[in-house]
This record gives sequence, structure tokens and C-alpha cells, in this order.
Amino acid sequence: MNNYITAVCAIKNGKVMINDKVDFTNNAAGSDVDFLKSVYLHYQVSYPKFYKMDSLCKLAMVASELLIKTNKITERYKSEDIAIVIANSGSSLEVDTEHQKAISDKVNYFPSPAVFVYTLPNILIGEIAIRNKIKGENTFFIFDKFDAEFMSSYVNSLLNSNKEECCITGWVEFYDNNYEAFLITVEKNKEGNLNITNTKEELTKLYINQAQLAAS
Amino acid sequence: MDKNIYVTGIGIISAIGDNVAETLDSVRKQKSGIGSLDNIETRHKNDIPVGEVKHTNAELSKLLGFSPETKITRTTLLGIVAAKEAMESAGIKDVKEFRTGLISANSVGGMAMTEMYYKDFLNPEKKGDFVDYILNHDCGDSTEAIANVLGIKDHISTISTACSSSANSIMLGARLIKNNIVDRVIVGGTDSLSKFTINGFMTLMILDKEKCKPFDAERKGLNLGEGAGFIVLESEKAAAGKEILCELSGYGNANDAYHQTASSPTGEGAYLAMEKAFKVSGLKPADIDYINAHGTGTGVNDLSEGTAIERLFGNKVPAISSTKAFTGHTLGACGGIEAVLSVLAIKYNMVYPNLNLVHQMSELTFTPVKELSTDKPINHVLSNSFGFGGNSSALIFSRH
Repeated sequence: MNNYITAVCAIKNGKVMINDKVDFTNNAAGSDVDFLKSVYLHYQVSYPKFYKMDSLCKLAMVASELLIKTNKITERYKSEDIAIVIANSGSSLEVDTEHQKAISDKVNYFPSPAVFVYTLPNILIGEIAIRNKIKGENTFFIFDKFDAEFMSSYVNSLLNSNKEECCITGWVEFYDNNYEAFLITVEKNKEGNLNITNTKEELTKLYINQAQLAAS
Repeated sequence: MDKNIYVTGIGIISAIGDNVAETLDSVRKQKSGIGSLDNIETRHKNDIPVGEVKHTNAELSKLLGFSPETKITRTTLLGIVAAKEAMESAGIKDVKEFRTGLISANSVGGMAMTEMYYKDFLNPEKKGDFVDYILNHDCGDSTEAIANVLGIKDHISTISTACSSSANSIMLGARLIKNNIVDRVIVGGTDSLSKFTINGFMTLMILDKEKCKPFDAERKGLNLGEGAGFIVLESEKAAAGKEILCELSGYGNANDAYHQTASSPTGEGAYLAMEKAFKVSGLKPADIDYINAHGTGTGVNDLSEGTAIERLFGNKVPAISSTKAFTGHTLGACGGIEAVLSVLAIKYNMVYPNLNLVHQMSELTFTPVKELSTDKPINHVLSNSFGFGGNSSALIFSRH
């Protein structure tokens, strides 16, 4: 049974790419977090909790926001019928380091609950779920690099077993001046702007294509 | 797709024992593993009790026949102990006989070592082989190391979804078999105590300074624990001729979509996960003989989970208990450890006592089991695991 990639949003290298086009560029931001803030402001995302999030969640939050905006999956499906399956390689390393510094600092010892809560990678799924009231199956994988074969077959199995109707899936990484979001929606029918068959080959092609757009 | 998933092996290490036999002995004697924190130097050492595995890393290495000098993280050592036992108990001698996978879950990775050498890592003056531990920091590293020891090559995955990680690895394993990607798979998880988590949970103010009291009206929080639990899942073909401990008949996962660290008052995620598990298994709530609850002992979890259970089971809640007062909350490993306990519950018709329970929660109508029971048949067990980020999972184990 074929399932279809109906939309894509990628954020990398100072660019936001939506459905195969560079939609926003800002190479003047002082830092990666400043860049994410400029994306948030440019697209007028109105969700002040964004400012409390760690960098990894900020990235996942804006990418998912722009993705969902393009094809309105949360209006078309019941909250229990949307799954979220995301992977990365560094887990929550960026904010782990921050928490670790607070523990090992003998003088200014003050580990903060607001930091600690972000020291798990699946918290970014939680942020997307809370923001959009998505209650379907959700899981977070750790892989060396984006594994198109596993991700496409896992999501196809999820949809084909009728457990879920739609899935937000992809890769979100933020560590040490290296950030990358690649999120897609996969649906059972050709409901979106892209309608690419969700196979290992097509997903790889799309992923490489986004990376090339980001580098262009 | 409607293939049966057989459980043929189990392995466990936690504060109540290094293996299945010791674990059984502890639960039969109703002996909790919660006590002092000995293996980690932290300012909170005397503030909180924990469920610690009472072996140093060198001792664990020795137990496994490795040189005490070997650079292996505690998370990996614990994982190898339990995964090896699981594989041996399933009678797997030749790993190449069938397509075999390993899915291991954890939440801290090599943190316990990283924090020990953190300052040395940053100090260019410091030289030594401690630097190797950097390579072991990733959550995925322990999975690779366990797979290496067991000789598993066909499928290796790491899941990190906080405290439901292991339950999700069990669910993924079942799917890999159902989709004919592997014939058998070792699934579960491992996590070690670390200053990182102790400090974090301290700041969240959900650690009980005494032994935890899940489902008690006066519960004050959880006790952290460490350990690993793995089970072996096999297809009909791979399990042929073997002793089948039980079947994994149902599984489900949902998001609570309410708050990062607190469960919703109605237990929406928990309710949806259990409902899905029933759907997969084809069973009804009335079929369940025992619920091994997530039951962490925090104010919010036990109320939310209890409410979700009452929504689903009405006034007919079966025997229920949390085993966290035995092992502590082992975070990424708890779903694996509790899966082993669920399998044992079926094998020995056992319902574990919910230790330290004195005061009935006024919000709930059911009362968890207070004494060990071995006289009623246990055919179907529901095991819950809920994690930060709203990740909620439920598994159902059934007598074969």
C-alpha cells in the first residue's frame, strides 16, 4: 500500500525551505538561536512558550508549525490519528551540556528545572504535541545519520496497520553550531502539495534535495 | 500481520537482584532494594534513598568476565548483564540461526562517565585514556556495545522517549517480527544512576526523601533507581520447540499532549495507550488479571494513571500494584524491568505487593494489592509506562 509525503519543511544553513522552495533566508543572524527567533518573527508564529524552549525544541517547534500550516493536518485529522516519529543523532546534547555545567560549577551551583526538563530528545515531540493537541503514537529514535530506509518503512507500517492516519516524521538536530530540521507529513492519500510516494528512494531524494537547496 | 509474538527469554538486573533468580527471591521475601547511594559522589548523597545496583563498575566488569580496566559505561554494563541473561534463558546459542535484532532503550547514555570526567575533558593539560569515554556518551553507544557482545547484526535500534523508552522498544520489536523484518528480537532497556538525573529530579522537586509510597494518599515523590531489563520476542518459526513463557498480545502508545513533565488530570495519554493495547490484543479490560502500574509515587502520576484506569475499567479494576517501591524508578529501563516482572507474574501466578502503601487515595476507588499473592491464576497482565514529553505506552502479556 502506498503512502504519500504530502509536505516538507526543512530548516538549515540560515534558510527555511517549504515544499521544495527556499521560503526565507537570513544569513545576518548573530547566532543560530537568533536565526530561529528571526524565523519565528518572520512567520508571525504566535506561541510565546517558544522563548522558554531549548534550542532543539525551538527548531522543532517552528519547523512543525510551518509544516502543519501548509497542509492543515490538524484540521483534517482527529488528534488521536496523527503520529509523530522523529530521530536525530545527538539526542539533547546541547541542553545536556548546559545542565551539566550547572552541576559541576562549585561556585554557581544551580541546576534549573527549566533546563533539566529539556534534557530528553522526545521533549521536542511533546512540544509539538502540546502545541497542536496531537495525541497519536509518538516515538524518538537515535541514529548515526538520517536513515531513510528505516524511517519510511516504520511510518508506512504505522499507517498501513491502520493505527494512524497521518504522520509527522523526520530529523531534528541542534548541536554546537550545527542545526538541521527536516520534517515531512506522510498521509495515506495524495492530499497535499507534494504527493511523493513514501519509499526509501523518494525520501532519500527529497532529503538530499533539501540539503542542496540549503547549500545553494 | 496477525502473527503471535512469543516471549521466550528474560533477563534483569536492578536493586533487587543481579538476575531473574535473585529478583524472584527478593519479591517473594517482599524485600525492597531502596536504600543508600554508594557508587556516586554527590552532594545529595545523604538526602535521598535510591534503588542502586550494589556493584561498582569494576565489579560488574568482573561479573561479565571483562578486564576491570575495560572502558565500558555503567549503562552498557547493566545492559549487557540483562540482555545476556535474556538471550541465554531463551536458549539462543547460534545467533545466526535466525534474523535477530536488538532494540535497547535508555535516557542517560554514558552520562555517569561523562560527568565523572567532564572537567578533565575540557582541560587540555589532562591526558589519558579517560578520553575514550567521550565515544561512549551517546545513547546509541550502549546499544552498539550490547549488540557486539551478543553478536547481533541484523537490526539494531535505540529508542529514547524518557520513562516509556523500554516499553516502546518492546512495541517496536513486536512490529519488526510482524512485518517479517526479523525472526526474533531482544528488547528492553538500560539506565544507570547519574548526578545528571539526581540533580535534575531534585530541581523538579519530585523525589521522596523517604522510601516512595506509590498510590498512597501521602505519597511525596519517586525514588530513582537503575538497572536493565530485556525480554526475547520470537516469531512462531523461531520459537518452535522452545518453552514459551507467554505472549506479547497487545501494545499501544499515545501522547498526553498536556504538559512536558506532568500528566493530564484525566490521564488522556494513558487512557488512549491502554485502549490501543486492548484493540491490538482483542482482549477486554475484564480479561486482565493484574495491572503492573507505572505508579511512580509522584502526586501527579498516580492520580492521573489511577483516573485513566478507572475510566477504562470502571469499578472493576483488577489486582493492581506498582513495583517501583522495590526497584526505584529506573527511567529508561523501567519498561524492560517491569516487562520481566509481568512475564514472571504469569509464569508463577504472582501479584506483587505495592510496598509502603498505608493511606487510601480519596480520589480513587481501587486499592492496590498490599501483600504478595500467588494463589490466583494470572493469565493476562497489563504493564504501563509513561514518560516526560507526554509519551504514554501500555503493553499486554498473555499466557500461551
